[in-house]
Formats: sequence, C-alpha cells, structure tokens
Amino acid sequence: MVLAALAAALPSAALAHSADRGFVLLLPTGHYMIGGAIAVALSFVILVFAPAGPLATAWEKALPMARAPRRGRTAVSFAGFALFWLLVAAGFFGSGDPLSNPLPLVFWTPFWVGLTMIQGLLGDAWRWINPWYGPYRLVSRLTGPAAPLALPRWMSCWPAVALLFGFAWFELVYPAPDDPARLAVVLAVYWLVSFAGMLLFGYEAWADRVEFLSVFFGIVARLSILERDGDSGRIALRLPGGKLADAGWLPPAGTLFLLLALSTVSFDGLMRTFFWAGIAGYNPLEYPGRTAVIASSTLGLAAMFVALSAAFLAAVWIGGRMSGDRVGLAEAAGQLVWSIVPIALAYHFSHYLAAFLVDGQYALAAISDPLSTGLNLFGTAGFHVYAGILAGPNAAWVIWNLQAVAIVGGHMLAVLISHIIAYRIHSTPDRAAIGQIPLAVLMVLYTLFGLWLLASPTV
Amino acid sequence: MTGKRSKSSMLTQSGLSRRTLIKGAAAGAGLMMGPGFVRYAQAQSSEPIKIGFQAHRTGIGAAYGRWYERTTNAAAKMINDAGGINGRPLEIITEDDGTDPKRGAEVVEKFVNQHKVDVVYGTLFSHVVVGSAPTAGELKVPYYVVSEGYHVASGKMNRWCVQPGITDVRAQVTSVAPWIAGNLGKKVTMVYPDYAFGHDHRDFFTPAISAQGGEVIAQVPIPPTESSFTRYLPQIPSETEVLYHVMVGPAVLTFVKELGEFFGSSGPKMFGFIDSLEAVDIASPGLEFLDGTYFWEGMPRYAQADDSDAVKAYRAAVGINDNGASTEDTKDVATAAHMFGCWETLYVIKQAMEAAGYQGPQDRAKLIEATEAIEKFDAGAEHPQGDKVFNGKIHQCFGHQNISMVENQMLKVVHRTSIEDGMYEPAADYTTMPL
Repeated sequence: MVLAALAAALPSAALAHSADRGFVLLLPTGHYMIGGAIAVALSFVILVFAPAGPLATAWEKALPMARAPRRGRTAVSFAGFALFWLLVAAGFFGSGDPLSNPLPLVFWTPFWVGLTMIQGLLGDAWRWINPWYGPYRLVSRLTGPAAPLALPRWMSCWPAVALLFGFAWFELVYPAPDDPARLAVVLAVYWLVSFAGMLLFGYEAWADRVEFLSVFFGIVARLSILERDGDSGRIALRLPGGKLADAGWLPPAGTLFLLLALSTVSFDGLMRTFFWAGIAGYNPLEYPGRTAVIASSTLGLAAMFVALSAAFLAAVWIGGRMSGDRVGLAEAAGQLVWSIVPIALAYHFSHYLAAFLVDGQYALAAISDPLSTGLNLFGTAGFHVYAGILAGPNAAWVIWNLQAVAIVGGHMLAVLISHIIAYRIHSTPDRAAIGQIPLAVLMVLYTLFGLWLLASPTV
Repeated sequence: MTGKRSKSSMLTQSGLSRRTLIKGAAAGAGLMMGPGFVRYAQAQSSEPIKIGFQAHRTGIGAAYGRWYERTTNAAAKMINDAGGINGRPLEIITEDDGTDPKRGAEVVEKFVNQHKVDVVYGTLFSHVVVGSAPTAGELKVPYYVVSEGYHVASGKMNRWCVQPGITDVRAQVTSVAPWIAGNLGKKVTMVYPDYAFGHDHRDFFTPAISAQGGEVIAQVPIPPTESSFTRYLPQIPSETEVLYHVMVGPAVLTFVKELGEFFGSSGPKMFGFIDSLEAVDIASPGLEFLDGTYFWEGMPRYAQADDSDAVKAYRAAVGINDNGASTEDTKDVATAAHMFGCWETLYVIKQAMEAAGYQGPQDRAKLIEATEAIEKFDAGAEHPQGDKVFNGKIHQCFGHQNISMVENQMLKVVHRTSIEDGMYEPAADYTTMPL
C-alpha cells in the first residue's frame, strides 16, 4: 500500500509512456491548449481564403531524385527475416528480464516506435525490410507465382482491422507484452500464419488486406516525403502529406483501420490519466496492475474506437449535408480519412517520445549481449542507461514542447490535407469550404484532447 | 494449490508448459547454454546460490525498480568478490512482475519451478508482496521483501515472508513523533491523501503524538484524484504549530507550490515524508518553499559530514554522488531512502544461510528458522544504514530513522531516532506457524 502510492510522483522511465508529469503539471499547459486550438482553427480559416488551385498544385509537386535500386529487395528482406528470427530466438533463449532481452526492447522501441516514425517522415522502408517478402519470393519461385487461393472480395481489409485491434490489445491491455518468451511465441506464430497466408493467397493480397503491419506501415508511409514511382523506379521528393492529397479513396474497412490506428494511440494516453482511473473505478494513486484492469481497458479501447469513428463519420456526413453536394458518405470519408494520418503520427511521436529515449538505450545495451551470456558484440553491453534525461523541470519542458509542437503541427497538416481533398470532392470552392467546417471543428477539439492527454496527471 | 491460486496458475500454465516443453527453462539467462545446465541437486555444492529477484522492471514501479536493481547488483558483486555465501557465488536471476500482484505470483512460481532458485527476494510495492506471498507460502520458498509496508509485521502474510532489511511504515511514523513534539510543536495538522496510504499515517501518527503530549488538531484528507489544493489549505487551523504532510503522486509539486503561495514566509513548521519526493531533485525550481522544512528519510540521500566509511563504501558501490544522484548521470536521482534495504537484505540472506549451513532448496525451512533466530544486525559494511534489531516473531526489523532539514535545497540530517522510538507491541507470531 505504502509504496504503491509513490511511483506516480517519479519520473517513470522504462516502458512507461509519460515523462515527469509532476513538472508538466506546473507548466502553463492551459495556455498551450488554447493556443494550439486557435492555431488549428486559424489555419482552417486562412486556407478557406487561400486559393485552392495553386495549393493543390504545390502539393502535387514531385522533385525527382535518384533512381531506386531495382534489385535487392529480396536480399534486404532476407536480412530482415534473419534479424527477426534472431530476435525471436533471443526471446526464447535469452534473459527473462524485459530490459535485458533484446526482443521486447527492439520490437517495441526501434521497431514499433522508431520504424513508424521513419515510415511517416521518410518513406516506405518496411516494403524492403519486412521479414516475409524475401522468403515468399524464394518459395514462390519453386511453387510458381500464381497463388492457389484468392481472398473473397467481401473480406476487403477487415482482417487487418481485426488484427490491428488485437495488436493494440496486446500492447495496451495484455498483462505482459514485454515478457520476452511470451512475445517470442506471439511473433513466431504470427510470422508463420502470415507466411502461410501469403503462400496460399498471394503476397500482395495478404500484405494489402490481412497483414496489419504492412497495411499500417503502408498507410503511414503515404505521409512521408519520399515517393517511389512504381514504373520508372525513380525516387521523388514530395511535400509532407503530398502523397496523401492524391491518394485514392479507402474502402470502409480501410477508413476504419486508420481511425482505429488513431484510437489506439489516443487510448494509450487516455488510459493513464486520473480521469480514466475515475471511469474505470480505481484509485489513481494505487494503480492495481494491468491484470486487475483487463475488462475496463478492453472496453475502453473499443469505446475509444467507436467514439472516434462516430465523431469522424458524423463530421463528414454533416459536412456533406451542409455543402449541399451529393457525395456518398463512404466515398467522402474514404478520402478525407487520409487527413487522420498526420494526427496519428503526431500522437505516436508524442506518446512514445519519453519511452523511446530511455528504452532505446536499454535496446542498445541489450543487442550487444542478446542472450545475457556476457557477450559484447557492439561494445554497448553494460551501457549505463541515462534515465535522467527525462528527469527534472528542464526535461519536462523540452519534452512537453516537442509533444505540443507535434500535436498542433499534426493537426494543422491534417487541416491542410483535408482542405486539398475537399476541393476534389466538392463541386465549388464555396461548398468545399462549408463542407469542411464540421471536420475542422473536430480537429480543433482533437487538438485540445491531444494536449489535454499529455498535460493531465497520470498514474 | 488452493482454489484462490488455481485461477492464475491456470492462466499461466499453458504458456509456461508450452515453453518448457519446447525449450526447457526458456528464459533462464544462459541456463541451457553452458555446461552448468546439469540437474541442480547433483551438483549443488559447486552451483551458485540462486536469488530470484522479483523486480518492478515495467509498470508503475519501474523507476524504483531501476535503483533496486543497481543496489542489488552492487551488493551481489560485493558478496561475490568476498567469496560468496558458504563458498558459493551468488547469481541474481531477474524476472519482471510488471508491478502487478498476479504477475508477481506467477513470477514466484516461475522462480521455484523453472529457475529452481534458492530464495525469492527484492519486492518493493506492497500490493505485489500481498499478491505473491501466498504463492511463496504454498511453494515453501523463503520470500525476502524490501517493501516498507506494515503488512509483514501485521501477521497477515505467512511464515515464508520476511522483511529484515527495511523498517515498516508503522515504526517510521511512530519514531518521528517524539522529535516532532519536542522540537517543532505539539499542535499538529495532518494533510494526507484520503486512502489506505494516508490512513496508515493518520492512524499510526495520531496515537504516537498523543503519547508525547501532543495532539492532532485537524485532519485534512485530500481525494486521490485532486491535482489542485488551494481549496483545502484554508482548512488548516491557524493555531497549527506543525503541518504533517504525506502527499504523493504527480501533483506533489503542485501541492508544494500552492502551500508556498498560501503561507508565504510565515506559517507552521512543516514535516513530511521523503516518499513524496523520492527520486525528485530537491533543488528543482518550485521547491524553494521547502527550505527550512523537515523530512523523514530512511537513509540520507545527500552525503553527510559524519558519514562512516561503510556509508561511503556503500554509496560508491551503488554509484551515487554526494547529491544522491547517479555518478554516471547526475540528473538521475536515486531512491536513496529505500534502496539500501536491498543491500542489507542480501547480507541478511547471507548471514542466515551461513548460520543454517544452507546447502540447497531442501534447507529452505532451516533458512527461515535461521532468519527468525537473528536478533540484531550491527552497523557496518553489511548494514550501512545502521544497526537494527530483528523481531523473528513478526519477521520485521527495527532501526534508526533520519530526520533531515532542507537547507540550501539539500537535505541535512538533524536528528537520528533511537531504535526504541519506533518499537511497537508485536501483534503476531509467525514462528508458531508450521513450515
């Protein structure tokens, strides 16, 4: 009882998602919230009066750069495959301590946090490094390129939605997502099942519609600045979000996939707040442990998804009605939902920043001695983890500002992208402007929500 | 297995047995890698003594867990460098309990059945101790906790659960009362979070200050969800001589700031527990108001002028500088008031194993009896926090407490309580329970 109360006062570092919240509570976070909301609202107003044509043209600009290597994707994927199984083996045979074993550290930090940022900022690295493509190419060379089975059309990418929910549940609700051996089992099974699916139904079909990591990373990479032209193989430089503005429309399952992605990282923040402790019915100073809150967290994760999806679809629907244009809800939502990507990436950055800074160091130490046998492969074994980078008022100030800039910037980019998309959907600029108002209001509210999550007291 | 346990073991057994089938002791660090993977009972004389370290590596206890781990490793190294226990080296096997009671119980089970440890050790958070102790009792494995809670001494655990390396909160609260009444004042107002943690302080301190001729003139319980306190502060009576505060959680800094704004340069004397600001730099902006106020500390965070060689050696081995922060990373402030308990507990295990002639898991009951037979620990390299007495009946040690004043945003010890100041009437006797 006694010490159960204390941790919340501490700089929670390892695998926690918040910095030193006590110091953040002393910052004028309310001013940031008002300022952030005004900035997002103003950017909408300014865009309404800005000529849409030149803006869209600018965002369509592509600056050609080097030619992408045509070969090597299989080899790179094999390297990813080898790394994947080495890590899984470390999960089975290495230390049971999640801060010494490289599997949970590398998977949750450089991979899940880091690669998502790389995908969103730079480009689609996952296409190259994923651990299935190479082995699939090898096996399909023996068996022939044609897949024996086809996924039914009605299935769309709903399996990916279900798998993303399962993954988020594993990360946020399951009691021990960091346990090396359990994570190793989950990943090994997932790889095998996915590989079998790719062999049976074809790599592209499975990666586009079932394998949620490929779907997620593919969507996130639409925000990034590097674009690869499929035919010529040239790599071009785009403005952030440029590829989103001219993306096609997502089917309903894809729309909900994206909304789920934002919901999960939003709930990740929400479930740590005192506010949520009140809803779930526990004392925030006496957090009972994950196993005690499985039911409430599961419900909360689902409710967050339902609430965000309902709010988004309602905003799109009302916007359509207000504009007077007859655009189907699925079509409008399937295009405008692309504007969620920068928000999801901003949330991802903000919520994982603190954990990344500390757990990245643990990962660095762990890869040098993957089995805890005293090896020092890269000279980083026994590396002293500088947890103090999160401690104190200065760190809290820096981290809070980085988070606030990301959240506000992400929403401003979202407003811009939905603006460009809206002009494509609607018949006239006036109707496009009117039709966007509900979505812009939602984005202002979500900016407030995002900043509030990061400024609230947390367990 | 009792009905209560079967639920969580059913949950884990499929996972564990699966791994066990495939890989043997899957997560044992290097367990199957070397020639050391022989059956334990056959080669125990040369085998290391295995200490299962039930660590808060993730979850809300992680910041504490990091320092508990550093202290544990430092003590284990010290013991091994000096020849180990009964000539056998110590091996620390760390498992994460996620600061979660159910996982805590699973970890105890894993330590016993999979890692074949000799003892389980090191748990800090009380709810994890309370969740894990029944499993330790069922599996008959000595469970040495470092949790500071009153639950061990209360008699609510079992004979396998002992707390020989850190005093409990009841003793801590009781022991500071005489000094407060004699030096700060007799009219006390208590501000505390309104749940079990705060209630312990209220219930233990109120009679203790009465016994000194003092009086708690007002109690100001604060709902745990509060993050601003200005509307509670007017409840502090103006005749208050001492404000006793034990606020915890992320809003502690806000609490201090608002106290400063409320009282300005006047106001009562203040006494708090460093638990509120453990691992937080006292020299942080906003905490200036604390200058001239007093805190309980289990072991001083800041190096003191009269530190013994044992204290200096302990601080150097754990790796903390004069400000109580990591020598490698001066912003990483240690949980100094509590983590010494890990060091001292490992040395208690050593002392008890040597007294019991401990050979292997078959001697676990003898180890408990040998621990219960200990009556005192002398101050020194093994017990740098100071000498202690141990009550084998309630499995709890009693020791000195430090009262420190904040001076120039540093903590300076102004009084050290006697061991007797913290003594209370034992309410249990574990030694009558069967082993």
